[in-house]
Amino acid sequence: MSGGGDARRALRVDIDQSEPMPLRGRFECAAGELLALVGPSGAGKTSMLRVLAGLMRPQRGLIEVGGQLWCDSDQGVFLPPQRRHVGLVFQNYALMPHLSAADNVALAMLHLPAAERDAQARRWLDHVRLSGEQQQRRPGTLSGGQQQRVAVARALAREPKLLLLDEPFSAVDQMSRQGLYRLLAQLRSDLDIPILLVTHDLNEARLLADRLVVMDAGAVLQEGPPEHIHRAPRNARVADLVGMHNRFQGVWVGPSGRAGWGLLKWVTESGGEGEGEAMLLEVRDKGKIKPGQPVNWVVPGDGILLGADGSGQTLDARVSDARHLGEITLASLTLERNPQISLRITLAGPQRQRIANGDRLAVRLDSALVHVMPLHPRPPAVTT
Amino acid sequence: MDWQAFSLSIELAAVTLLVLLPFGVLAGRWLARTRFYGKAWVEAFVVLPLVLPPTVLGYYLLVSLGAGSPLGRWLLDSFDVRLTFNFAGLLIASLVFNIPFIVQPVQRAFEAIPGNLAEAAAVCGLSGWQTFWRVELPLAWPGILSAMVLTFVHTLGEFGVVLMMGGSIPGETKTVAISIYDRVQSFDLAGADRMALLLLLLSLGAVAASFFASARLVARR
Repeated sequence: MSGGGDARRALRVDIDQSEPMPLRGRFECAAGELLALVGPSGAGKTSMLRVLAGLMRPQRGLIEVGGQLWCDSDQGVFLPPQRRHVGLVFQNYALMPHLSAADNVALAMLHLPAAERDAQARRWLDHVRLSGEQQQRRPGTLSGGQQQRVAVARALAREPKLLLLDEPFSAVDQMSRQGLYRLLAQLRSDLDIPILLVTHDLNEARLLADRLVVMDAGAVLQEGPPEHIHRAPRNARVADLVGMHNRFQGVWVGPSGRAGWGLLKWVTESGGEGEGEAMLLEVRDKGKIKPGQPVNWVVPGDGILLGADGSGQTLDARVSDARHLGEITLASLTLERNPQISLRITLAGPQRQRIANGDRLAVRLDSALVHVMPLHPRPPAVTT
Repeated sequence: MDWQAFSLSIELAAVTLLVLLPFGVLAGRWLARTRFYGKAWVEAFVVLPLVLPPTVLGYYLLVSLGAGSPLGRWLLDSFDVRLTFNFAGLLIASLVFNIPFIVQPVQRAFEAIPGNLAEAAAVCGLSGWQTFWRVELPLAWPGILSAMVLTFVHTLGEFGVVLMMGGSIPGETKTVAISIYDRVQSFDLAGADRMALLLLLLSLGAVAASFFASARLVARR
């Protein structure tokens, strides 16, 4: 996984279209890197994959893979899927129902003589750990996880320069899913090509991907490593899409006394400023926001600490809802000072034992992890 | 038993199928895959021979192709070709009459193929022809097979159009259905009986065989 200049350019995408559906975005992916396209249904993730595979021609766009131009609307270049050497694993696999698993894989190698094709197909299916007996069966008689493996083998048999996976884990059970995660991890180290994964499951994306591309309403909103997006979402929509529950509103007050720090006034959704004195938080100041500017701000789960330690700002809270789920506990904490404000936390390990509905406890926010985003009058990315 | 009529009917059915099959497969696939303004009209014309009384269809063919029509006169004057009351006329009538029997099942068969299989084939590097031969045709085959059987059997039993366009010339246009009719008209009920029974068994056997074959083909997936 190198971030060098050439490797970084293994995949270069810049798409801009408004018809038939809006699709806009720009991102890159290095060889050996796994990029996850995330976003809600209808965000344009699958359309983006279709454009990359050559199944859809964008109004305007540039796609370059391994130094080869696949699409450049300015020069009138558009390679059909047949000439792209792209591996695509469809969401429902799209295996040929009338062909055996082996013949499905061999179909991607029609340029080879039949005997060699069969031998290669067996080799690829062995690689994804399908038994010899299973290789001769038709897709209809294989389990979801096995069909998935055949689809992956078929995509690899094409010797792709780019591997695309459309919601590859959505239709398989948890057991097969773990096996497929391992397979994907192995592929990443074996193949030195960019891999794009479409998913609506954020945990999966964070687990597998080096970088995320967050999409909504056909547009790429933000791109970066999962931890970066989590720490500094570009706007409130991104924060919502990556599942940051602790998003609040505020007003930027201005620099505090300390250099590099500023004051944030915490206001509630309804616009009220809480009872009595305004709640002021001292957070990092990048000097980009004007005093008086309304803002959204987020704090990731690991920025919410339980128990007073004598330093910083401590808030008194009450547990309004605690749910113990398997190995984790989800809890909502309501601030004593303003019951309209609640924080959501996930607890694991020994801490979770001590939480019950109605408990009073002290909460600290890690100021360094609070991320402030100027509130735009309109969401900037969404147009139709 | 009028074996001459039988062999004429079988010849007519075979030639009809041979000519109509490529057209039916291409037209059915085209209708399954294409969306365009006015498609409903095209589909209505395809079904028309199914709902129109055969005599009406035969009548229109007769007046448009007969020696009295401009087309018929031109064909006669220029090429000395006559398209009524002979085998060629019978074949034209049979082709028109069988269009819905071949196009509709084929169209349904192609429609039933998931759209992303063609896309998967393209991503696998298959050309349009390769996709047609290796993916679409095998998957549509049960539908095409039943369309072929329907067309064949339907031609064997065709009566109204044949009578209008061909009359009843032994060895030329007298098919088995007309032969049966002639027997009944001349009170040869025993002869009519035998021929009708043979036609019934032949038709039933062919249709049943195609259903069994389709079911097996589908089950193998």
